[in-house]
Amino acid sequence: MLYQEFNEFWDVARKRNIIFFYAGYFSQHVVSAISETIKARLDTAGAAGPTRRRIFSSFIEMSQNIMHYSSDSLTPNAQLDQQMRRGSFCIGTRGDSFFLLCANPVSTESVARISSRLEPLHTMTMEEIRLAYRKALRDDVPADSKGAGLGFLTLARDASEPLEFEFAQDPQEPGSTIFCIKAII
Amino acid sequence: MQLPSPLFLAATPSSPEIDFRFEQHTLSIKGESYPENAAAFYGPLIAAVRSYVEACHDAQITVHVSLAYFNSSSTKMLFTLFDTLNQAAIDGNHVRLNWYHDEDDDTILEFGQELQLDFTALDFHDHAVRSE
Repeated sequence: MLYQEFNEFWDVARKRNIIFFYAGYFSQHVVSAISETIKARLDTAGAAGPTRRRIFSSFIEMSQNIMHYSSDSLTPNAQLDQQMRRGSFCIGTRGDSFFLLCANPVSTESVARISSRLEPLHTMTMEEIRLAYRKALRDDVPADSKGAGLGFLTLARDASEPLEFEFAQDPQEPGSTIFCIKAII
Repeated sequence: MQLPSPLFLAATPSSPEIDFRFEQHTLSIKGESYPENAAAFYGPLIAAVRSYVEACHDAQITVHVSLAYFNSSSTKMLFTLFDTLNQAAIDGNHVRLNWYHDEDDDTILEFGQELQLDFTALDFHDHAVRSE
């Protein structure tokens, strides 16, 4: 019976061609540990070097985004190191491509700000993304960023199709919204 | 002015090995870079390099950067570090930057090209390393 429970769970993942799935709290230790398994997993999945690197890069940007910005935090909001925040992440295959999907709660009031960053990327060509990246590299870091303000541009640069994103109502928390982002590589 | 004492940090899974031998004018960075807080990791290193270059005159400085991966926030900090070294080269030192990357890693190759565009005083040498 115990193993049966696992099997049902894995069957769902297999049917959706999921090669890695994690839901829970993201800390820097968790990110490093998942990095190790993802690298090994991509090696056995037979992805080419550049594809593997783009998937790895997108995983780091997505998981560190959760660690820095998810509104469900086990550590105080002002704390900038040893943060632990909740979200979920998965990698799967679809045809010849890989997809990466992540989700985390954000405060509903930050939805407009996140949207305004992602919306323009959706219609940009690869060349325009490259130019925006080069500009952001030389600009001052935005005040609300814990990194370089380059995270979404890095995701867009590594993806082979425009990034998809969505905001869904959080069924448990009325003041928060679930932010989802998907990258195809 | 005296040169700062050497600075060595062992690599961790998410931060590179730092080996700054200021007296030998050799600075090396090697590994992967995705620390939780890139500003906290690179800030003190950039400060150390700043005080080092202030003490340098007509020095032959060699920098080796061999990073297999760096995340977006590390990218920004590296850009600032090379800006500091470029300024040292403008001020009369010779700064050779050896930039190592895997031969099929376009991202790191292209970041090296960005550095060459902005930091023209650096003596930039690209080294494509064959994949294992």
